[in-house]
Amino acid sequence: MDPLAATGDAFRLLFSGDHDLWRIIWISLRVALISLVLATPLAVALGFGLATFNFPGRRAAVVTLQSLLSFPTVMVGLILYMLLTRRGPLGSLHLLFTQEAMIIGQALLCFPVLAAYTLAAVQGADPRLRETAIGLGAGPWRTALTTLLEVRFTVLAGVLNGFGRAISEVGSAMMVGGNIEGVTRNMTTAIALETSKGEFAQGIALGFVLLVLALGINMALALIQGQGGMK
Amino acid sequence: MAKLLRRTLGFLVLAATITPAVLLAATDIKMATTTSTENSGLLKVLLPQFEAEYGAKVQVISVGSGKAMKLGENGDVDVLLVHARPEEDKFVAQGHGVNRRDVMYNDFILVGPKEDPAQVRGMTDVVAALKKIHAAQAPFISRGDDSGTDKMEKSYWQTAGVKPQGAWYVSAGQGMGEVLTMAASKQGYTLTDRATHGAYKDKTGLDILVQGDPRMFNPYGVIAVNPKKYPDINYRGAMAFVDWITSPEGQKAIADFKLNGEQLFFPSAAKR
Amino acid sequence: MTALVHVQGLSKRFAERVVLEDAELLLQPGARYVLTGDNGAGKTTLLKILAGLEPADAGRFAYAGRAFRLADYPAALRRDVVYVHQHPYLFHTTVKGNIGYGLVSRNVPHGEKERRIRLAMAWANLDHLRDVPPNRLSGGEKQRVALARAKVLEPHVLLLDEPTANLDADSRQQIVHLLGELSPAETCVLVACHDQEIIGLAGTVRLHLRDGRLSLLNGSPPASDAAVF
Repeated sequence: MDPLAATGDAFRLLFSGDHDLWRIIWISLRVALISLVLATPLAVALGFGLATFNFPGRRAAVVTLQSLLSFPTVMVGLILYMLLTRRGPLGSLHLLFTQEAMIIGQALLCFPVLAAYTLAAVQGADPRLRETAIGLGAGPWRTALTTLLEVRFTVLAGVLNGFGRAISEVGSAMMVGGNIEGVTRNMTTAIALETSKGEFAQGIALGFVLLVLALGINMALALIQGQGGMK
Repeated sequence: MAKLLRRTLGFLVLAATITPAVLLAATDIKMATTTSTENSGLLKVLLPQFEAEYGAKVQVISVGSGKAMKLGENGDVDVLLVHARPEEDKFVAQGHGVNRRDVMYNDFILVGPKEDPAQVRGMTDVVAALKKIHAAQAPFISRGDDSGTDKMEKSYWQTAGVKPQGAWYVSAGQGMGEVLTMAASKQGYTLTDRATHGAYKDKTGLDILVQGDPRMFNPYGVIAVNPKKYPDINYRGAMAFVDWITSPEGQKAIADFKLNGEQLFFPSAAKR
Repeated sequence: MTALVHVQGLSKRFAERVVLEDAELLLQPGARYVLTGDNGAGKTTLLKILAGLEPADAGRFAYAGRAFRLADYPAALRRDVVYVHQHPYLFHTTVKGNIGYGLVSRNVPHGEKERRIRLAMAWANLDHLRDVPPNRLSGGEKQRVALARAKVLEPHVLLLDEPTANLDADSRQQIVHLLGELSPAETCVLVACHDQEIIGLAGTVRLHLRDGRLSLLNGSPPASDAAVF
């Protein structure tokens, strides 16, 4: 395998609009974005709740949340597979080897990230914020919304981070997606497959796209932190 | 007026969501097959012909033979295309699958580096060849993943009465393509099916050293997952595929598939 | 005349430190009060308790002649009582957005909202800063925004915590001037501070907090409405 030739082929594939290649990229984006949309509302609510209210078991919940951050993606994939397999408890839903299953897996993976960032954001909020909002007549829902808006930069960082985790994971996508061409083959499973076939060109092309995405996300993050109010 | 509008809207939404599902006469088929079958490129040529007639897609999940059969056992796929005869028979006997039919065969070959340190080139006795490789402690890469190929290889070692162990014997736990790539980089030997070797020949530069042993005959079978076990499995689709691939048309398509001018699979379905 | 706010038997301690002990407070509508006391004496705590932002250990509370429980701080009081921090927190929006914040929760119609905001901005001399975000405001400007934000809600009780501490002379002057114009008939203003100029404003009643108790330093105490409790 000549790395230089493979890289050349990779760029040719990318810019010629190769149908298979761009479909793979589209599947990655679609699955990651939908899983993000699914996970965000509940995760943000959980993070806010953990930061704001005291209740028995709160400490345990926070510790659990933080340990879920590094939960291996293959484990999520394995557990989800066992739930979704036709013999399993959720087998009748026929979700295995579909994009929906991948979405569920990735939603589960980015959920802890979003919740943990929101928790940190709200905990780090100025204590006067709450008093000011309440003092000006804001009810509990408006106060919550105002709080989240005020710490939105950190929450947004969580969203970007969660997206990064979702789009770059392969363990769960492979297990519950099955890497079916045109259906559940996304960038990471394709890279895993293509390189196993020795087809490095497509692997490099996809890896390049992932790299660009990662760079884009990090640049956006840096921009946000900059605006985030280091006054 | 508003009530009528609301009712109409509701009906339209309902119709829009139900209609596509109802109009679908043929539903997609999920097929589990082995990585070596997928890597050979046969399916890329074969399936579009079937899909054109059947009217829906075949979704291919390629894993090792063992996992493919497990998927069938769990009802996660509708049909299997594998090459592990003893396991296939057990699969049917245990009630997991029905209508097992012969489809095609290819053969296994022993490939290795041009230099051939164990000097097995030209032999037609695979067991004897493996004994020589063992004696020379030449690098050997095994699938190590319970696949059909892997099971064949293990049976040869058993016949040879030798237990392969040591740094020279690598159990990869991966698909055929990866194993061939590994053999190439380690300049070692491996047992492979002819088709995958053909597909990878340019990349690996390995030579065919041992072939023609009747024990290296690799038959493929197609099995539909038992609908009595999983009533909502796509049995209709599975049987459509089973019938097509064993029909004269499907069998011809298999025979016509060539890589670098060489036929890789040989149709073997019972004539009807 | 019914007192606007009447508190009796107010007690609060933080661990070992007794901040308020059986304190009594009467606030009349239309009056301006200055609350003095040593730093850490508990002025902020008292103000926050009145605003329903801090719990008290004990106390009997009445507003406009009606008794209420501090733990169930009435929604009506949230509307009528506004507290301004010593270092006010401004939201990550423009000056206009900050000033209008409280109006949104009160379902004030759009036209009326705009009118009130305009008036408040003019009053606090903030017109030229309308679309400026808080991180570009000076301390004095922030204080004026906080005052305008409170005034626009037309509160009946305005609690100001050290509004001129940490400000330069010019800003202080501006704030003092605004405070001088701040007491319409039904509103009462309670300012915790040491600023001599504020204390010196006409008609100011001086309260002093010491050893957990409040005392009047000038003026005569009005008859207390003990019957309320």
